[in-house]
Amino acid sequence: MSPLDSKVPRPPAAFWNPYVAGVALGLVLTATFLVMGFGLGGSGAANRIAIGAAHVVAPATVEANGYFGSFVGPGTRILDDWLVFEVLGMFLGGSIAAYSAGRMHLHVGSTQGIGTATRLAYSLGGGILMGVAARLARGCTSGQALTGGSVLSLGSWVFMFAVFAGGYLVAPLVRRQWR
Amino acid sequence: MIFPLQPLGDFGRETGLVLGVLFGMAFGFVLERAGFGRASNLAAQFYGGDNRVLKVMFTGIATTAVLLGLLSSLGMLALDQLTVPETWIGPQIVGGLLLGAGFVVAGYCPGTGVVAAASGSIDGVVTYFGVMLGTLVFGAAWPYLEGFYGSGGRGSVRLDQMLGLPFPVVALLVVALAVSAFASVERLEGWLAKRRAGTAPDRAPVLRNGSLGIVGLMAVTGVGTGWTQPAAAQPESHAPGAIDAFTLATRIVDDPTGLWLVDLRDPGSCEAARIPGATCRPADDADGQFLADLPPSRTLVVYGGADLVVPPGAERWHGRVEVLTGGYGAFQHDVLAAPALPAEPTLAQLHDWQRRSALQGYFTGSTAAPPPVAVTPRKAPASGSTRKGGGC
Repeated sequence: MSPLDSKVPRPPAAFWNPYVAGVALGLVLTATFLVMGFGLGGSGAANRIAIGAAHVVAPATVEANGYFGSFVGPGTRILDDWLVFEVLGMFLGGSIAAYSAGRMHLHVGSTQGIGTATRLAYSLGGGILMGVAARLARGCTSGQALTGGSVLSLGSWVFMFAVFAGGYLVAPLVRRQWR
Repeated sequence: MIFPLQPLGDFGRETGLVLGVLFGMAFGFVLERAGFGRASNLAAQFYGGDNRVLKVMFTGIATTAVLLGLLSSLGMLALDQLTVPETWIGPQIVGGLLLGAGFVVAGYCPGTGVVAAASGSIDGVVTYFGVMLGTLVFGAAWPYLEGFYGSGGRGSVRLDQMLGLPFPVVALLVVALAVSAFASVERLEGWLAKRRAGTAPDRAPVLRNGSLGIVGLMAVTGVGTGWTQPAAAQPESHAPGAIDAFTLATRIVDDPTGLWLVDLRDPGSCEAARIPGATCRPADDADGQFLADLPPSRTLVVYGGADLVVPPGAERWHGRVEVLTGGYGAFQHDVLAAPALPAEPTLAQLHDWQRRSALQGYFTGSTAAPPPVAVTPRKAPASGSTRKGGGC
């Protein structure tokens, strides 16, 4: 009987030490800068997928929109973008890491304090807020704070402090969720 | 300079996209192993007891900044070729506050939502779906947001340029800031653990000191190397540059939306004839204030009838300003007029004539410049050395 057939579940591997993980993250980001000349992102793909999907449903409305209009139209392929492929890679890499660490299973996380339905409503609501915020700020924690912060962009540092401020300000209101 | 390699342009698009998947995989793998696929690990940051987010992120930023600084000190990296996200102060403060709020409500930021989804977390899937909906909300509200979205633009500004310090020195300051932040949050974690009768996050002094020690050592090396080999002086970003008519014409053809092109002659002459794509100055704006209000995301090119003194408005502008040497007259002479070809051109002169003819055709709508009599390029005068081997 090989270890893989074992009926006794292995405990999941421990998370990396945060400082070691930080250095590893820095090495990945540095390599990206050295090869591509730009850094990593997290929300650009969501932007393009959403606009692309909306364009399929209501092409005229999307093309007439002042913000979406520049992404769609003749000769553009909205999903043909580096950030879309990079986020696809993130999903694959995350899956490999979770599976090999014994953490891959279908679940809804952090429901202890509030129940599954409320937890999912919070996820959706928080996601929508971040979607608006990432467009306004021209990037999220990955593309602005981490990537821009590393090349010492003034706006990225301003953004990063604002993210922490926003999180600490709202945290007391949703404390029950994170018991 | 070796880096950056920029394969999206250099090796073809497909290679670039495959590399995108590979770098994304490495990014996703590290984020998952860092514990960022679990909302409870991320949200804990905002309650003080476990500052994993701050530690991972700040160490990542410090490591990257230090390595980029070190490589540029060693002459292996052209820093100014790296893409620096543009600064838009107001939108980034408001966007940051909103994103932080969404972060603690959802338990993920957009990127970590992807990683959570990858490990089977339905709340991660829903979060990323929410981010997509947020884009649509933003688009729907665009008429109300457009003004604010375009406000406070400063172009690509790096802290080292702003402070007038070398990049590696600021990278070292980032390391110092990070280390003092880590010392503070570790003290906070210990204090809260005692107060809440819980346990502080695992400490591994060897891993922490080892990781931060290596980063610190590289930071000091970067500063030391930069000190002994001072980099070439950075051009003052606000001093207007000069651009000649031929280069300007080429850039208008290559990238028409990469420039703000403004005709500063009197409005009458501008309306009569101007460089394609140029806007005329408002009649009542002698100071050039409207220039200062342009979004600084593009290069601003201004021109007069001949050479021109930059108006005060352009000096107040935050982006890069270039003045067309010789003004509209030079454009007429160098671009709009048919280029002449010497009777016995060298190959270089022939190439130059071909480029100028193509540009003249593009801007005047003529199908061809007047043809020269059949020409054969003359061999270039013999120089000291002859090139060996083939080549283009």
